[in-house]
This record gives sequence, C-alpha cells and structure tokens, in this order.
Amino acid sequence: MFRAFALSLTVMTMPAFAETVEIDTYIGAAEVTVQPDRIAVFDIAALDTLDALGIEVDGVVSPLSVDYVSDTAEGADPVGTLFEPDYEAIAAGGYDLLIAGGRSSRVVPELSEVASTIDMTIWEDTVGQGLARLNAYGEIFGKQDEAAALQVTFEDALDAAKAAVADEGSALIVMTNGPTVSAYGANGRFGWLHTALEIPEAVEAVEQATHGEAISFEFIRDANPDVLIVIDRAAAIGQEGDAAAMTLDNVLVHETAAWSNDKVIYLNSANVYIANGGMQSMTQIVSQFATKFAD
Amino acid sequence: MIRWYWAGVLALALLSFLSIFVGVIDLSLRGLWRDPEALRLIGISRFPRTIAAVIAGATLAIAGCVMQMLVRNRFVEPMTAGTGQGAALGILIVTIFAPQASIFLKMVLASGTALVASLGFLEIVRRLPPTQPLLVPLVGLVYGGIIGAGVVFVAYQADLLQFISVWLNGEFSGVLRGRYELLWLAAAGAALTYFAADQFAIVGMGRAVTTSLGLNYKQVVLVGLVAISLISSLTVVTVGIIPFVGLVVPNIISRLFGDNLRQTLPLVAMMGAGLTLASDIAGRLIRFPFEVPVGTVLGVVGAVIFLRLLYRTPRYA
Amino acid sequence: MRRRLIWLAVALCLCCVAYMTIGVRGPLSFVIPFRGTKLAALILVGVSISTSTVLFQTVSQNRILTPSIMGFDALYVMILTGAVFFLGGMTVALVSAHLAFAVTACAMTLAALLLFSTLLQSVHNNLMRMILTGIVLGALFRALTDFMQRLIDPNEFSVIQGASFARFTQIETDLLLLASVVCGVAVVLAWRMRFALDVLTLGREAAVNLGLDLQRVQMQALILTAVLVAVSTALVGPVAFLGLLVVSLARLATPVERHGVIFISASLISAITLIGGQTVLERVFHLSTPLSVVIDLLGGALFLILLLKGQRR
Repeated sequence: MFRAFALSLTVMTMPAFAETVEIDTYIGAAEVTVQPDRIAVFDIAALDTLDALGIEVDGVVSPLSVDYVSDTAEGADPVGTLFEPDYEAIAAGGYDLLIAGGRSSRVVPELSEVASTIDMTIWEDTVGQGLARLNAYGEIFGKQDEAAALQVTFEDALDAAKAAVADEGSALIVMTNGPTVSAYGANGRFGWLHTALEIPEAVEAVEQATHGEAISFEFIRDANPDVLIVIDRAAAIGQEGDAAAMTLDNVLVHETAAWSNDKVIYLNSANVYIANGGMQSMTQIVSQFATKFAD
Repeated sequence: MIRWYWAGVLALALLSFLSIFVGVIDLSLRGLWRDPEALRLIGISRFPRTIAAVIAGATLAIAGCVMQMLVRNRFVEPMTAGTGQGAALGILIVTIFAPQASIFLKMVLASGTALVASLGFLEIVRRLPPTQPLLVPLVGLVYGGIIGAGVVFVAYQADLLQFISVWLNGEFSGVLRGRYELLWLAAAGAALTYFAADQFAIVGMGRAVTTSLGLNYKQVVLVGLVAISLISSLTVVTVGIIPFVGLVVPNIISRLFGDNLRQTLPLVAMMGAGLTLASDIAGRLIRFPFEVPVGTVLGVVGAVIFLRLLYRTPRYA
Repeated sequence: MRRRLIWLAVALCLCCVAYMTIGVRGPLSFVIPFRGTKLAALILVGVSISTSTVLFQTVSQNRILTPSIMGFDALYVMILTGAVFFLGGMTVALVSAHLAFAVTACAMTLAALLLFSTLLQSVHNNLMRMILTGIVLGALFRALTDFMQRLIDPNEFSVIQGASFARFTQIETDLLLLASVVCGVAVVLAWRMRFALDVLTLGREAAVNLGLDLQRVQMQALILTAVLVAVSTALVGPVAFLGLLVVSLARLATPVERHGVIFISASLISAITLIGGQTVLERVFHLSTPLSVVIDLLGGALFLILLLKGQRR
C-alpha cells in the first residue's frame, strides 16, 4: 500500500553521513540512526522510560492512561491511538523515528512503510526486557550515563523491596474484576513480582498457567496467603484499590492471614499492565512494596 | 403432567444437596452437625450460591418463555431489549463515579439503569404502529445496539471493555451472603407472571384473537415486558448474562409439551433452575480448585442438548 | 422509486467526495492511494454485507435474522481469541495479514457449508431448524470466547480488542483485490437471482405452486450469503449490526418488495453508512473508537426516528 511512497521517502531523506547504532528490538537486531530529531511514540512503557531519560517527544498517542508522563506528552502532536495510528498525521509529521511496541506491535509493518520504526515491546521478561530497552534508548539518544543511573536507582529500589518482603511468607496475586476474582501465578503476566522480589507462591498450582485462573473467595480463604497482592482491572482511570477493596471486603477473605495482619497491597493497575516494563512504573511498584513492608 | 412435576422437584432437590457439598473448602456430611464452622460456611457461601443459581435459572427461563410468546418469535432472548446493555452502562457509571461503593450498592445502581433502559424500550414499543407486532424484536435489537454503542464508546476510551465483558459473563463464583439478595426480587417478578400466564398465552395467538376475547392487548404486553425487564436487569447485574436458558428451555418444553403456559411454566422454571445449577456444579468441578464460569458450561451443555433435541424428536403436534 | 434511488446515489457520491477531501494533510502522493484503498474496502464490504443480509432475510422469511446472528461474527471472534489464548498475544500480533485472512475466510466458509448441509439431509427441508442450529452454535462460540477472555490478562486482551471490531485502516491491497473478485462474482449471481427471490417472498407454498425449485434457490442464496460474509469479515472484521440496520433502513426508504430495488437501495445505504461513519470517525473522533460505535449510534437513531415518525407505506 505505501511501498511506492515509502521508497520515494527513503530516497529523499537519506542523509549522507548518518551515524547508526545497532540495538536489540523485539523482532531482532535493528540499525537505528542516532540522535533522531523528531520521534513519535506508540507505546506507554516506552514513553515512561523516555520520560525518565528526559527525552523530548514530538508525537504521541492518546489516551495515555498513566498520569506521570502527561507533562512530557503535553506539547506533542497527536498521532492516533494505541490501536489506530493516524497514518496521515504521521506522514505529514515528518518523523525520523517511530517507537512502537506492546499494544501497537501489530501495526509495526504498516508504520515501517511510513517512517523508520522500532518495535520495543516488553512482553515475556518484564524486568530484563525493560532494562534492555532502557539501555537501547540510551544508545540511540546518546544518554548512556543517564540510562545507567536509572538502572542503578531501580536495582537499589528492588533490593530494598526484596529485603522488606524477605520474611513476609507466601503471596497470592489476584486481580479483581467487579464482583469476581482471578489468580495469577509466577508464569503469568504479573509473575515477575514473584521472581524479581523472590516471594514464594501461596498456591503452587497457579504457577503452571501463563494466563490467570478464575477463582472463588473460598479459594482465597483456603490458600490463606500471608500477603495478598491485588490488581484492580477497573483502575485504569486512576483510582487504585477502592473498587478492589470493596470486592475483597467479605467474611471469607477476612479469615486469611494477609487480611488480618493488614498485608494486602493494592498495586496501581495502569503501572502493572499498561506501562508494564517502563522504568518509572517498575520503580514505583517495587518502592510500594518497600514502604508497605518496611517495618 | 403431574409425573413430570415430581420428577422436576426431585431432581432439583438432589442437585441442591449436591451443590451444598461441592466447593474448594472441604465439607463432610458426617462432621457437619458437630462443626459450627461448616454451618457458617454454608450460610456465607454455599447456600447463597445454590439459591442464586436456582433463582437465576428459573426466572430467566420464565422470562424467555413469556418474551417469545409476546412477540411471537421463537428466536428472541430476554436480553435483546437493551437490558444487558443498560446493565453494562450502569456498571460503567458506578465504576467510574463510585468506585468505593460496596458491591451490593453497585449492583442496586446498575440494576436501576438496566431497568430504565428496559422501560425506555417499552416507551418506544408503545408508540409503534399496532399493525406490526413483528417490529418489536427488530426495534429491540436496534435499541440495544444504540445503548451498546454508547457503552463501547466509553469503555473503549477507559480501557474497560474486558472489565465489562467479564462482569457480564454469567458466573456464580462471586456470590456470597449479601451479594445476591436482589435475585429475590426477580423471583417475585417471575411469580407474578405465573398468575398472568393465561393472558400471555392468548396474546401469543395474536392481536385479533386477544381483542375478540375481550382482553386489553397492549396492557397484557406491557405487564409481560415489565416483568421481563425486571428479571433480566436484576440477574444480569448480580450474576451476569447467562446464555441459552432463556432461549433453549422454552423451546425444548414447547416442543415436548406444547404451549399451555399455565401447565408448562412450572416445568420451564424447574428445567431452567436444574440446568443452571447442574452447570454451576460442573463448573466448580471441571478444573477444581479453579472455576469455569457457568455461562461457558451452559454454552456447551445447552448446545449439545438443544442440537440433540433438534435432530431427534419430532415436532410437537 | 427510481427517483429515490437516484437521490441515494447522489448522496453516496457526496459521501465519497467528502471522505477523500476533508482534512487532507501531508503529501498527496501518500494520501490519495491511502484513502482510496480504504474507500474501495468500505464500498466492497458495504455491498457484500447488505446483499448477504437481503438474501438471508428473504430465504428465512424473517426480518430480524442476519448472518451475524447465525454465529458468523461469534465464530470469527472465537478463532481470534483462541489464537491469542493458546499461542499468546504477541505471536498472533506478528502473524501476517495474508495468513490470517486465508485461515479465517476458509474456516468461516467451511463452517457455513457444514451448517447448510444440515438442510440437505432433512426430509422436510427444515429451514427453521437450520437457523436455530446457527443461533445455538453462535451462543456456543460466544460462551467459549467469554471463558477465554475471563482468563487472559489485560495485555493479551488488548490484542483481541483491536481486531474484534471491523476496521478499515490497515488493508492489504492484494487481499482487497482478491476479495473484490470473489464478492463481485457473488453479488452478480445474487442480482441474477432477483426474480426468483421475488417469487419466494410470496410465501413458500405459492412459490412452489408457481414452479420455483425451492430447494435450489434456497441453497444458492445461502451459499452466496456464506461466501459474502466470510470474505468480508475475514478482510476487515465483524460488522455486527450493520446488515440489520441498513436493510431495515432500505425497507423504510424504498418500501417495495422487488429485489431489484431492495438490492440497490440496501447497497447504496450500506455504502453511505460505512463511508459516512468512517468520515465522522476519522475527522471527529480521530479513530478513538471502533467504527461500529459510530454506525450503531447514527444509523440506529435514524432508524428509530424514521420508524416512530410513521413514514411507512
């Protein structure tokens, strides 16, 4: 569809002495021109990390769903949504680099035909891939030192959180969805909480599934976790825990060790899955554990 | 007929007994009388879940039966008149504006919008040209589509589509004491329809027949639709959309026993309740200790039963 | 009638011009082929869906049935959800458009043919039984889809969410050509059936007495329906209410029983609805919502208003 156009574009905009750097993307290694002038971002986790590095963004999708990046996105031009890039705006915007990933991973082929695109999805290994992406951005934008500093900050926060939860016992990750609950294990999307923080699972059986499992409140009481990690499916509008607490506030959950010792931690769900793997989101989550279990 | 009634009652009693003893936490029959813990558990979780399944199944089957009579179309479900979409709208509103309200309060509020949406449908139906009763389901579909579009519009922006679809997906895993009591109202609504059963059956023969028998056609249709709206909005919000029961059970009973509503309504109710309860028990066991939503079990079981009936038995003559 | 059809055709031309010209930014060498491809897809899908719905309603003699109620949409979404559930969201996101098109188009055509073969087995040519079967299977697919959606996490769901509504922004040109050829042939065949279908609307008994080969006409119409729905859904995704809406509107706009008229007016209205909806979506909502939302809101409201104003025969 765009081939003829894309071809003419590359012919026109090939600078004679572009310095490139090889970075790892989700779909293999890619050559990227360093210090791109105008960039557009189609992934919230990427925006989170770029924001942490203090990189100027010229085009950004909306809605953002996370609040802490809004000042970076403020002056940027709209380039569609996570699911539907506005190709005409992108073509008109003259971007040097498009950064896609996660939810916009599907449209990478189409984006590549308009401008140079990298797929920076963070999917299987949240912490590892999140750090890899951070350092890749450092390479592209010449901010290797800032990237290294951010990595150190995150690793310190992670160590503090590990130390805080070390003696707390076993945990169960649940996601509330209105009146119903699902459980997620160490292999699931939120499993990095178990592996990175080294919290054992309260229920061994959940760990085999990569997706969640539908459970009842009797299941939670029977599992009797020492720590209950709660994610609210509905809290993408920035209201952590209210609705989730209401769902879990019942006689059966009250009988668990986690509830009676006040070891229930409500995570900001936008951090956990919309910006999953972004530096700020990961740092915020582990800090939340550190403060909750500091005593 | 009486024989069938007894069979239904017996089957329901057996299923309920079974349902009390199936769950993640162990209960044994022997220890039951010496164990106050166990009795408490039954009171908090097992009995509410059992009764919720019975009421939801029975009332939905009745609502479907009455709806199919009223609009003289075998392919309509009580959910097709904007009720489900109205419930979704209510859930969206309480999720966004009152996240700290208790689950029961959220259910009450969402039932309110579901009911308002259904009454809006009635308002439109009342203004339809009386010559075309067949327009009713078509208008219901379009009306539901309009409200549904509004729901998708808001949910899509707020990343709540999955949230809505899971909340509305029929299951009883979240039922506890204090979270299902709205269903008793639905049961009352269904009981009312039994007393009007004869009128519905006459309306099912068409407007001309109804009027010649001295009944007020419009009034009967309205009463029926109000009852249906009440039942569907309360069940959707409390336990989600339970597929098949409202569509399949009336069709099966009508194929086997004909359309004398006063005789068949109790059978419809019992079959709906039995089917739903059995599916919920199966849903608790299939992937023990995890749950399979009742809607999924019913989808599979209902399809198998229905297709067998469809390709085996001759039509009721 | 003729005048009304001409007015509709004029409205369609206006819609096309509006879609191609409003809010053009960036290089024309990019915008014209980009919008042109989408316009062609919109017209193709519009005509396919309206024609298949008219065929289906005539054969089933029921004004509230559409192919999507028969479970075609549900099957599509189930295939998609199943793929994400078993293979993982990223795997599915990286599958090529051609493979996805081939798999879904074949699966849906095959399912349709299996369903229609139940008609041939029965002695009484029991059409209602077949429709019920379709509805039941649709509910079955939805039940399985709901279960998988209950278990997958939000990120996996986002992959499904994008594809479970019809969208016209990413269309492969070669697939569009292929779909145009297949659907074009099917539409021409449907058009040639118009007189037989007129006879069929008189009722089954009357049609048989007039010497119509009922079995053959039914089968032909159903196969055309299946091909049209399968190909257009595989190309852009499920369109849900569109068929029901545009055919109902066409029956209000051109209230005659002649298929020669209904086919044309439904196709025109369908194309107007899709192109108008897509224009509103791109220029007003900036693609922030699925197209079906715009169509259901505008088209549905229009339908109810027309109906309540009593502009009938």
